[in-house]
Amino acid sequence: MTTVASAQTDKPVTAWHHRHLIDVDVVSWPEIDLIMRTADEMKGILARPIRKVPALNGRRVTTLFYEASTRTRVSFETAARNLSADVVSVAPATSSVTKGESLVDTVRTLEALGAEILVMRHSVSGAPYLAAEVFGGHVLNGGDGWHAHPTQALLDLYTMRENLPGGDLRGRKVAIVGDILHSRVARSNIWSLTAAGADLWLCGPATLLRGMDRWAVAWSGGAIPGHGRFNVTSDIDAALRDADVVMGLRIQRERMQGGLLPSLREYAARFQLNAKRLSLAKPGAIVMHPGPMNEGVEIAPDVAISGCSVITDQVANGVAVRMALLYLLAGAHEAAHTEAAR
Amino acid sequence: MSAGTDGATPGSGSLKIGATVGRFELERAWLVDPASGREGPGEIVVTDGILESVVWLEGAEAAGVTDKGVVVAPGFFDLHAHFREPGFEDAETVATGSAAAAHGGFTTVALMPNTAPAVDDPGVLGRIRSAAAASGSPVGVLVYGAVSAGRAGDQLSAMGELADAGVIGYSDDGAPVKTAKLLRSALLYAGMLGLPVADHAEDSELTAGAEASEGYVASVMGLAGWPVAGEVQAVSRDLAVLVDALGDEPRARLHLTHVSTAAALDLVRRAKASGLPVTCDVTPHHLALTDEWIAGARRWAWEALGAAGVPRDPWADAALTASPYNTSLRVNPPLRNAADAAACLAALIDGTADAVVTDHAPHTVVDKEVEFGKAANGISGIETALGVLLALVDAGKLPLARAVAALTSGPAGVVAASSRTAGIAAAGPRGLTEGAPADLVVFDRSDRWQVTPESMLSKGKNSPFVGRELPGRVLVTIAAGRLAYEDPLAAGDES
Repeated sequence: MTTVASAQTDKPVTAWHHRHLIDVDVVSWPEIDLIMRTADEMKGILARPIRKVPALNGRRVTTLFYEASTRTRVSFETAARNLSADVVSVAPATSSVTKGESLVDTVRTLEALGAEILVMRHSVSGAPYLAAEVFGGHVLNGGDGWHAHPTQALLDLYTMRENLPGGDLRGRKVAIVGDILHSRVARSNIWSLTAAGADLWLCGPATLLRGMDRWAVAWSGGAIPGHGRFNVTSDIDAALRDADVVMGLRIQRERMQGGLLPSLREYAARFQLNAKRLSLAKPGAIVMHPGPMNEGVEIAPDVAISGCSVITDQVANGVAVRMALLYLLAGAHEAAHTEAAR
Repeated sequence: MSAGTDGATPGSGSLKIGATVGRFELERAWLVDPASGREGPGEIVVTDGILESVVWLEGAEAAGVTDKGVVVAPGFFDLHAHFREPGFEDAETVATGSAAAAHGGFTTVALMPNTAPAVDDPGVLGRIRSAAAASGSPVGVLVYGAVSAGRAGDQLSAMGELADAGVIGYSDDGAPVKTAKLLRSALLYAGMLGLPVADHAEDSELTAGAEASEGYVASVMGLAGWPVAGEVQAVSRDLAVLVDALGDEPRARLHLTHVSTAAALDLVRRAKASGLPVTCDVTPHHLALTDEWIAGARRWAWEALGAAGVPRDPWADAALTASPYNTSLRVNPPLRNAADAAACLAALIDGTADAVVTDHAPHTVVDKEVEFGKAANGISGIETALGVLLALVDAGKLPLARAVAALTSGPAGVVAASSRTAGIAAAGPRGLTEGAPADLVVFDRSDRWQVTPESMLSKGKNSPFVGRELPGRVLVTIAAGRLAYEDPLAAGDES
């Protein structure tokens, strides 16, 4: 854990130098801190009567979503518009993609049409790296396959810092419960929360944890600079006991057809985040969910709207964090400050 | 050094591919002859396509000749390649595949039958033979027939007619023989015909949707896992069915191709020890590459193996230097971890693996410049196999003679083990034999070559080595006495 501590005492950075944001694995802790501080500023803007600043005036943001998503796409587009960017929204159902156009051709076409920042979501892990290879601008990953959802992880981190006393995750127990195997949210959170020094627990039925134990074992020595170990368990009580943060993940119906779960009822009986189970967590623990929720399956309806739930905070913070990332990626931050030493 | 046509002045320019080599001399080279088990300094002379003399040098004459320079070996034999014709000529043809093979030092190839249409009747075989004859290349082209009609896994192909037409065995490669029941029939029928069944061992139910080998790397990268059990289960099935078939047909033979896991190789090792008629092969990429390449690492498998045989962590080592999800690394079976790669090497050294095969699988840009999970499986590897094995030799992991044997006498032995093919030329000793048609490769271990789309003769540029250097430049490949490949620089070398 010494690497984590040292990462967090690194001196603050004031400039952003990543051309793309595809996952948080390559983002250092000081850079994450920069994102958080920038999001603070953006949140200040969102508190104003007129939530619009000219920071990205005339800059062109294109959202390319190969997977259906309402909240993430709207969150990005709202964030871009709040910064006065021009927003083009490409939905594959109405584009040439349905005619068999490849991702590479689509990205080249969007660039020719003027796209500068490409926000993309794709069902295949790694797809944004392919887009980044051929795109002249900036790629901002809005979720790829099971691999990564960096803006979600960062807004989760922002929300945790906002709600925990002192805003510090070090030593705080965070339990993520649900379908870890298929979750890009969980994977990105592993990078950001272990970098933050949290005591991270991943919990779910054994069928939906497959492979994650190998990752946990590989990191059991805390070998990766800036990242700590984490725990993987099917014991929901152990995961929730004394937790500061509990995050539920969506359980999809397809998992039953895939033979991974007997039934949603059985999942709910054994893993649902309900009031009784959450009584194991620390008093004042917060409950999170990246949405969309299956109330009554992975989370009890009363828990979702209870005082400990910060789920609507996540949605609101999502706009601020995405504004911060669009702003940083667009290079606006460097223009506003003298260049910081690397 | 130069290969000259009959009557031509040595060094007067390059000889046409396919022409009989009139005169070719090589002095003070390192000869490797798996047939006799001998290697050492020597000289060869080829006259009118015949290996006229092989002289082993001794004493003062041999001084200064090492195995680190120019090496002469019998022409390589690839038991497993895909030349895509007929049906996928955008990816490869018999002509371009043969040129690529010769560039890799191969003088004989065995082609898998997953063409379109599949090689499930003699007509398709005839088309491939015609294409080989028309190519002008002297590279010998052998063909596997499909196990099942249309490779659909339901009914047997025209196995007898295919045998009469000269296939060297049967395979539904690209996919496993679909059911144990069909495999049993195929082993019996092929055994009756004196031919082997070569299986791509994969339990397709366990591997449905898989993108990478199940394990740490796949977990981090969010790739659907191809579990080791998928291969172990299939090899177990195949061996059990073989035992069953042998009860009725003692000539039944099984070959397991591109085995990639320590656990499956252990099963083969035990089966061989118990006397079962089974052979197997491994590929250069499963020997030398690992799944961490998909994450962006670019170190050899043996450099990725930590203490106590545990794979190292490429993230912890800051070993990720290339862009992740490179689709040239998507292959089936998938790249495994460093421990499995070490097991493939151990199997090659102890003889559990009889041969190294390339599983040369060229693909078009259309099929590879896509999202990782949508990319076609396969590596264009027939030109890089020698370089990869020489990297193992350079690292002290594999004796040069064993590397050469794995590409020559090893595969020949697999073919020789079946009664129907025991007499064909490809099953011959693959040695440096005086008086026989010259069939050899000359490569320079002191030189390297840059793998680029331009330097590759295959239409398939889907090599993970593109942009990298490999050791061992092939200077000349002579197949059946005819010129198959000549390095452009060597051709212009007047010495």
